[in-house]
Amino acid sequence: MFRIILAACSCMSAGVLLVATVTGDDLGARAHKLHFSSIVVDTHDDTTQRFLDGQFDLGPRIANGSIDIPRMREGGLSAIFFSIWMPSKITGPEAVKRALVQIDAVREQVRKHPKDLALATTAAEIREIHAQGKIAALMGIEGGHMIASDLGVLRSYAALGARYMTLTHSGNVDWADSSTDTPAHNGLTDFGKDVVREMNRLGMIVDISHVSDKTFYDALEVSKAPLFASHSSCRAICDAPRNMTDDMIKALAAKGGVIQINYHVGFLSQEFRDAEKANPELEKTIAAEVQKRCGGQEACKLIVGDEVTREYVKKGMLPRVEYTKIIEHIDHAVKIAGVNHVGLGSDFDGANMPFGMEDASKLPQITEALLRKGYSEGDIKKILGENTLRVMAEVERVSRELNSATQK
Amino acid sequence: MRRAVALVCVSLCVSFALLRVRSTAADDIAERAHKLHFSSIVLDTHDDTTQRFFSKDFDLGKRNPDGHIDIPRMRDGGMNAIFFSIWIDGRIMGPPAVQKALDQIDAVHENVRKYSKDMVFCRTADEVRRARAQGKIAALIGVEGGHMIGNDIRVLRMFGDLGARYMTLSHFYNDEWADSSTDKPVHNGLTDFGKDIVREMNRQGIMVDISHVSDKTFYDALEVSRAPLIASHSSCRALCNHVRDMSDDMIKALAAKGGVIQINYEQSFIDQAYKDASEKLSGGVVAQFDQFKKECGDDQECFGRKMQEQEKQAVAEGKLPHVSWERIIEHIDHAVKLAGADHVGLGSDFDGATMPEGMEDCSKLPKITEALLRKGYSEDDIRKILGGNTLRVMEQVERVSREMQSQP
Repeated sequence: MFRIILAACSCMSAGVLLVATVTGDDLGARAHKLHFSSIVVDTHDDTTQRFLDGQFDLGPRIANGSIDIPRMREGGLSAIFFSIWMPSKITGPEAVKRALVQIDAVREQVRKHPKDLALATTAAEIREIHAQGKIAALMGIEGGHMIASDLGVLRSYAALGARYMTLTHSGNVDWADSSTDTPAHNGLTDFGKDVVREMNRLGMIVDISHVSDKTFYDALEVSKAPLFASHSSCRAICDAPRNMTDDMIKALAAKGGVIQINYHVGFLSQEFRDAEKANPELEKTIAAEVQKRCGGQEACKLIVGDEVTREYVKKGMLPRVEYTKIIEHIDHAVKIAGVNHVGLGSDFDGANMPFGMEDASKLPQITEALLRKGYSEGDIKKILGENTLRVMAEVERVSRELNSATQK
Repeated sequence: MRRAVALVCVSLCVSFALLRVRSTAADDIAERAHKLHFSSIVLDTHDDTTQRFFSKDFDLGKRNPDGHIDIPRMRDGGMNAIFFSIWIDGRIMGPPAVQKALDQIDAVHENVRKYSKDMVFCRTADEVRRARAQGKIAALIGVEGGHMIGNDIRVLRMFGDLGARYMTLSHFYNDEWADSSTDKPVHNGLTDFGKDIVREMNRQGIMVDISHVSDKTFYDALEVSRAPLIASHSSCRALCNHVRDMSDDMIKALAAKGGVIQINYEQSFIDQAYKDASEKLSGGVVAQFDQFKKECGDDQECFGRKMQEQEKQAVAEGKLPHVSWERIIEHIDHAVKLAGADHVGLGSDFDGATMPEGMEDCSKLPKITEALLRKGYSEDDIRKILGGNTLRVMEQVERVSREMQSQP
């Protein structure tokens, strides 16, 4: 009798195991299929800094960093926003000139790889390019300091293809406060509001990553189109001022916007953030090491900064953060704002990536994790890119309306 | 007696008949000229109206009491395509020059947008033809001076991407890589970098404009360029010995490479007596410029006003001779006799120069067609001079660009 029960139990266990494995394989296969049949949009990548080295080429597989064409393809990345960035302390005509040089660098990389890359400026173009089997390259201006308080310059960037502008970077600009600087303007000045209005007219998405909370609420009020946070995560999970509070996420969503989750470990993990704050000497040591290896070279600093941080994590001097933290942030944002208002804004090549999300080739893991969590395929497609495409289309529509109102 | 009376009557009748025939023939020419002019593509390669876009008193859409260009007068004059010149003082270099250039490029685009019922922005010969067919005025852009690229080839590319279709290699002063005709030579024409710039212009399909440059710069550019060049606003040195004008050898060399000399209507470039008197009075164009700059600073309206005032006064006082618009025809004719009707065009310098009497503004352009027809020019040749030659150069420059870009 006992033997029969034992046999029965074994069979059942085997059966359950088999079912579980089969379902597991099924899920893996389903996730893969889903991911590679979706439009996957990443709204923030700092790879542009690497383009400034005339020798850099996106074409071959690169041994470091997170972005190149082979790894983008492996990761099923359909559209990437290359960030135009320089430190906030560079302002005026110098900033303008350097921004032009970076925009040129993005356009040249695209020119160099016509079989793999194509410049896009609209949601429809992203879909078209995806249908052609290519990756859509777009641009975002990461910081209003680069317009030198000149709307003509803003319009020039738009004409050259920039589709969003982050109102500030880490320092205040003349017309907007940053979340990581001492408030000087109480959010947006009158000119800052003009900038937002002009962006609406130009069809440029107003990006509120980096800005102070007050700047966020001011922009939200003035803007006639939805906004997004190109690379921000949830302050409820990790209290970095760079992240958005639940109220902010809800307000953004109420206006049709999207929070694009940032994968930087210091924004994902409270533990990591606390460890960094508790160890200011550690930060200094890391910075010194980076300086030693890179000098002033911005691209090098970003890539090597990530590598050095990783070394310190391996040594146990900083906590290890898994990529599943990204899922936690996505999940939190979905729960408070709804699945129509969350997306992906990695900060690849500009931040410290968690384990399991070292580069773009690992992106399918996000789809698999969400599927495992019970997200529907439709909802996952939204998070992967449809939400961002919706915001883009809406911003374009508002732009058309505003323009037809002002023509003679 | 009867025979005498009869003889007188016959003479009178014949005379009368002859008179009638001649005036009918004259009416015929005027009518033919009008028809010819208004059925051609009339293209002007150099207009400084851009400076006026920054004045609150100027409206491109209205008939202005001053200046040479606005939409109503362009329509009256049958002007179908206009290159708005992007210009700043040649002594401003580096990033500030770059930003100012962006502002002007933006001002052109904004004005075209504002008046989109009458104007359309064009980047190719095809687009100009299409604009003509739609009954709109084609607006194009030329950058008047290499100083505006901030000594950076990447900025040149961005100006090209923003729609600039030619660049004058220098203005009144040498830039970092090219000598001007009105400055002390320092580079001996084009530097190596200057030659790289010409090659990149070929690659980008940006016409190389050799107005303003020194003779050595001209010959260097001619040698390096794989595409035909233009002189966007220069006249004939053989008729008026000004360094801004082209010698017969230069005109022939330009033509041998397929290029076009676009005749400038500025009085001191087309009339020797005026040039000599003017230089005696004010030290010449550059010195005059400097004087007004001191008095007016950046206020271009002030500039234009003072220029016209001083000129009018001097002529009234007999210090400067009158210059007839017919001088323009003499220059066209000289260049045609030298190089053929395929190599001459119109580059007025409207709103940037002092116009001869009878060519007060662009509404007077049909007079050029009529004068050429009276001179015995064929309708085909007139069409070439009015704009066909420039469109041909544009097409060739586009073709060379495509060829160069298709090579790895």
